[in-house]
Amino acid sequence: MTLLKTYIIPRILQWALVIFIGVTLTFLIPRLSPINPVEQAVSRLTAFQTLSPEATIALRESLEDLYGLKGSLFDQYIAFWKRVLSGDLGPSFSSFPMSVNAMIANGIWWSIGLLGTAVVLSWVLGIFLGTLAGYFPNRLWTRVMESIVIVVYPVPYFIIAFTLLMLFAYYLPIFPLVGGASGTPSFSLGYFGSILRHSFLPAISVIIGATAFRFLMAKALTTSERTSDYVTYAEIAALPKRKILGVFIIRNTMLPQVTDLALSLGAIFEGALITEIVFSYPGIGSTLYNGIISADYNLIMGITLLSIIGVATASLLVDLTYPLFDPRVRLR
Amino acid sequence: MVIFRDLLRFSPSFRIGVILLSLALIMAALSFVSPYAPDDRRAVPRNRPPSQEYLLGTTSTGQDVFWMLTFAVRNTLVIAGVAVVIGRGIGVLLGMTAGYLGGWFDRTVSTFVDSFIVIPRLPLVILLASILRGQLSMLGLAVLIGLLDWAYPSKRYRAQALSLREREFTHTGVFSGMSTFKIVTREHLPFLIPFLLADVVSGFLFAIGFEVTLSVLGLTDLTAQTIGTMLYWGNYYQALLSNRTWMLIPPVVATIVVVVGFYLISIGLSVYLDPRTRLARLRVKG
Amino acid sequence: MRRWRLVSALLILIFLLGACAAPQGGEGAAAPAPAAPPADAGPSQLPVNVPRNEVFVADQIFRYSVIDNYNFWVPGPHTPHRHALMMETFWYRDQETGERLYGAAISDPIYNEDYTQMDVNLRDNIYWSDGVQFTADDVVYTVELLKSNPQLSAFGWSAGFNQFLDSIEKTGDFSVRFNLKESNPRFHTFFETRWNGMYIMPKHIFEKVEDPVTYTYSDPVVLGTYRVVQSDPNGFWELFERREDWQRTPAGIVVGKPGPKYVLTIFYGDSAKKAIAMSRGELDVFFDVDFEAFQTVLKTTPTARSWYKDFPWAYPNEIDVRHLAFNLESDPIYANKDVRWALALALDIVDLQTEYIGGVAKVTVMPVPPTAPLRAMYLDPLEEWLQNLEIEIEPGVMYKPYDPTVPERIAAWAEEQGYTVPGSPREVFGTGWWKYDPDAAERLLIKNGFSRGANGKWLKPDGTPWVLEIASPPDENDAFRMANAAADMWSDFGIDVKLLGLERSVWEQNNAVGQFQVSTPWFSFVLADGDSWPQVRGWHPRFYVPNGEDSRSTGGSNITRINDPKVGEFIDAMVSAPPGSPENTEITTEFLKYWTEQMYFITPISFKKFVTWDERYWTGFPTSENPKYMPLYWFQGGKFTFQSLEPVSR
Repeated sequence: MTLLKTYIIPRILQWALVIFIGVTLTFLIPRLSPINPVEQAVSRLTAFQTLSPEATIALRESLEDLYGLKGSLFDQYIAFWKRVLSGDLGPSFSSFPMSVNAMIANGIWWSIGLLGTAVVLSWVLGIFLGTLAGYFPNRLWTRVMESIVIVVYPVPYFIIAFTLLMLFAYYLPIFPLVGGASGTPSFSLGYFGSILRHSFLPAISVIIGATAFRFLMAKALTTSERTSDYVTYAEIAALPKRKILGVFIIRNTMLPQVTDLALSLGAIFEGALITEIVFSYPGIGSTLYNGIISADYNLIMGITLLSIIGVATASLLVDLTYPLFDPRVRLR
Repeated sequence: MVIFRDLLRFSPSFRIGVILLSLALIMAALSFVSPYAPDDRRAVPRNRPPSQEYLLGTTSTGQDVFWMLTFAVRNTLVIAGVAVVIGRGIGVLLGMTAGYLGGWFDRTVSTFVDSFIVIPRLPLVILLASILRGQLSMLGLAVLIGLLDWAYPSKRYRAQALSLREREFTHTGVFSGMSTFKIVTREHLPFLIPFLLADVVSGFLFAIGFEVTLSVLGLTDLTAQTIGTMLYWGNYYQALLSNRTWMLIPPVVATIVVVVGFYLISIGLSVYLDPRTRLARLRVKG
Repeated sequence: MRRWRLVSALLILIFLLGACAAPQGGEGAAAPAPAAPPADAGPSQLPVNVPRNEVFVADQIFRYSVIDNYNFWVPGPHTPHRHALMMETFWYRDQETGERLYGAAISDPIYNEDYTQMDVNLRDNIYWSDGVQFTADDVVYTVELLKSNPQLSAFGWSAGFNQFLDSIEKTGDFSVRFNLKESNPRFHTFFETRWNGMYIMPKHIFEKVEDPVTYTYSDPVVLGTYRVVQSDPNGFWELFERREDWQRTPAGIVVGKPGPKYVLTIFYGDSAKKAIAMSRGELDVFFDVDFEAFQTVLKTTPTARSWYKDFPWAYPNEIDVRHLAFNLESDPIYANKDVRWALALALDIVDLQTEYIGGVAKVTVMPVPPTAPLRAMYLDPLEEWLQNLEIEIEPGVMYKPYDPTVPERIAAWAEEQGYTVPGSPREVFGTGWWKYDPDAAERLLIKNGFSRGANGKWLKPDGTPWVLEIASPPDENDAFRMANAAADMWSDFGIDVKLLGLERSVWEQNNAVGQFQVSTPWFSFVLADGDSWPQVRGWHPRFYVPNGEDSRSTGGSNITRINDPKVGEFIDAMVSAPPGSPENTEITTEFLKYWTEQMYFITPISFKKFVTWDERYWTGFPTSENPKYMPLYWFQGGKFTFQSLEPVSR
């Protein structure tokens, strides 16, 4: 009962506050941009032709009307919250007349599928290998592995992605060049197979970097645990090393790792911009990027809102489950 | 000085790290004697592969890759360095104090940190970069990256502090009357240093990675020489597609050298600082 | 212990193998190797399951973000190549030949004497894709709906009809009459393409629609030869199928060939990815790539070619021109004609055209693209005037700035590179240009009070250093490379130049509010038929907006803040001159002379596009040897290009 009052409720209030502040900030910042979404749309619509001045003005008026960009900043802010609470994020400006809801729905599952899998896989793989490397720092194979990881880790992501693309889509043309799947969605084996084939390269490109990062973090944490008294005692007591690793060390290094995993999972809702661009993969990263450069307020707000809620919720869950992972964290 | 000599003597990773970083620093220093101004295009013939005359070849804009790299390493080190100092400075300070003090202070700071964390960073920086177009200098970029990368670290430091605070030796310390300051510096620091060092390395990488990402998207000052803009221009002139990789490999190798250098040094240092491994080492020596 | 090591080793092995092995699931038949795959190699890695030799794969230019919406009359849904395959209007003006091709109309526009009435006769032998015959009712319905609903604002047709059209009447089942509010000799251009003309709606579909603004027109009933049958929910590709009754469509009738059974448009990504896709045999045409990627395509795909079989390869005749434009009010020096002339004379056009552009775009000295028809109309007649043109570079000292030998010098460069020039230098490389004469430029500046500082750099008349900023969007390749050339050459001349590569949207915004000194817009002063008024009317002083305010607010496009009553007089005189009339040509010629003397823009080159075809599966593309239609397949008039394609027989 006291736990609820002193910890859980304040934490949930904090969660709500965080979302409110975050959303308010992202509502305001794009509006500092000098780019005018209506003019952006006009120039996009007239990119291939010259429009007469009269028609340009008419087009602009019609767009302002359609976009609902009238009223003061405060009016727009109120209208925004009203829309959010009713679950309708309004029309996109850069892709009018698509609704922001529809645009997010088109991209979000690709982002979640690709990044969710990649993040979890690399988390498990990285911790597993990194912990081993930290516990057996003097073995040949851990040294080889570590050398590979520290050389791969600093390579800029763009280079990894583009090199993979060149190798496995150009010199060895075994992977497709574009999209998330073949054909239109259906519940067939062929369609799911094509999803796997399309996502393989992008996933690997993300996994390489993320695994290297997790490896190094796990190794650093394990190294400092390895020489703890309890490990020494356990070793003197001739406990099997597997048990020492699996029960004591992993458990003690878990806290920051779980925090990090939750936050990375929350960040999935941002999408993976460079991945999507290099592999022409669907997702909300490039959608958001296009929203930013064309000052598509509704679209920016829609996707960042999702991302904000995702990260804030992940962080809330971590805090609420801390005691499970590390019973020593007593709640004061 | 003695420490440094000891480290060089007994820690191979520190030794290699120092060599790598010195290499990077020498490169950076060489920029001051470059025969070409950094933005002097068409100074040499275009698209020449590496040769005796042009050590690392020339770019599609007619610049010598080697000399361009010297400027790029220098500028990137400055950008990443400034960003790391700002980001980790704020992060350590907020995270540790919040973790140790707890209570309302922790709650306020955490709310603040969390509000910041939830705002997606890459979109934010793309937005800011596009708002500040043309006015964002290299140093401005460094500060921007630094100001973006303190929230996550601060959360990690807080988690570390929380965990350490509850350990037995902390309680032992408290019961035996040690001051908080003493507990933190004597008992906790050895645990924190490896973490901090690994974190600094990742901070460096984050800054370089961010700089590269922004450059690849064409959002930084493209006339400045950095690792990112070298990649941008190489890519702009299709270096990979047309097999002119000598424009891309040097900046990538330079990134690896810098980051691996820092990493190895951090490992060497953390092993050295850890009192228990030091004992083990002394025994071996004796 | 042992087990640990084994398990980890295995894991690493799997991890590494995973990076190399390919899951060959589903229809993953062996992909065509870059060299020479068999033509009938079943479905490849294309996203749709149709035989490769029945589908023509075209570059989609960009990824669609508006999904499953074909209501092209509201602003938003994407039109490139979709309108070529599916939509019809009255006439198509081919940019290569300058010829008029007949779409839904069978006659030219028939005006009355004072241009207040326009009659059009329509085809009586074309049908909608659901079998309903096309009649005058469809035209009347579309025009009246657009006129009455300003929210159907795409392409300015609605606004235009409200401005110029009094009423439309049906004069027969296959003829219509437009009654105009005032005399307008250009009214037919609403229905004649450069880019597009008013898309005709199927009355029998739209009259049943409740709200034509929110209607998405999915599964459209079309008058064109192709119907859309499948599309990617993520906007990367779209599949079209030829109508079985293709002989009852305008393109089918005009060309007389069936065209490919399927057309697939795909957006692969940037230049590199298009080059890769073509080498894999998964792309039959792309609309443009950068120079380096194009060179790679030539190497990896022996069957690929552009307009010319060899150098200079690219299609040079799109009606558009690139400029270095000044903001006259960013700094008073740019309002000075002599300064603009000095900057022009400090550019080495041969170097710019060869070293920066690769020798593949045509030089032009005026905002008129040097295509064969337009050269005959404007540039050839003006050559003598250009050669005699004089400017005053020192008080009392006249100077002839024009250098007619530029094309020959570029041809000499090309031969030095080992290329053969396919035609006369003037045909292939365009007109002469301004001399590269830094000396004359220097004298011009000194005449106006400029001086060189201690370091040899230019100081402005007020004694401060001259810092010149060029802004250009890197994604517009030729514009950006031209900006690079100018930056390098002006730096060599002693000006402190800053080159800003800006994101397109930021660049446009800065242009509009005047946050630039020199920018690189593109803009032709004439259309394919030689008419100038629709293109230049935005420069009328009436639409002028002072620097700092948004130049778009009056609907004009005057980013350079030219406020010249003389320009206004020329534009006013053009209004009533019917396009194609000698009077029209004469006024335009005089206007071009005035504009050139003022050096409002430095105009170095016209457009080129590496429209590149792979002849592995399809043949019959327009080329310099077979210039029947323009190769610009993404324009609405590109329908004839698609229609002319034939499968390669093996």
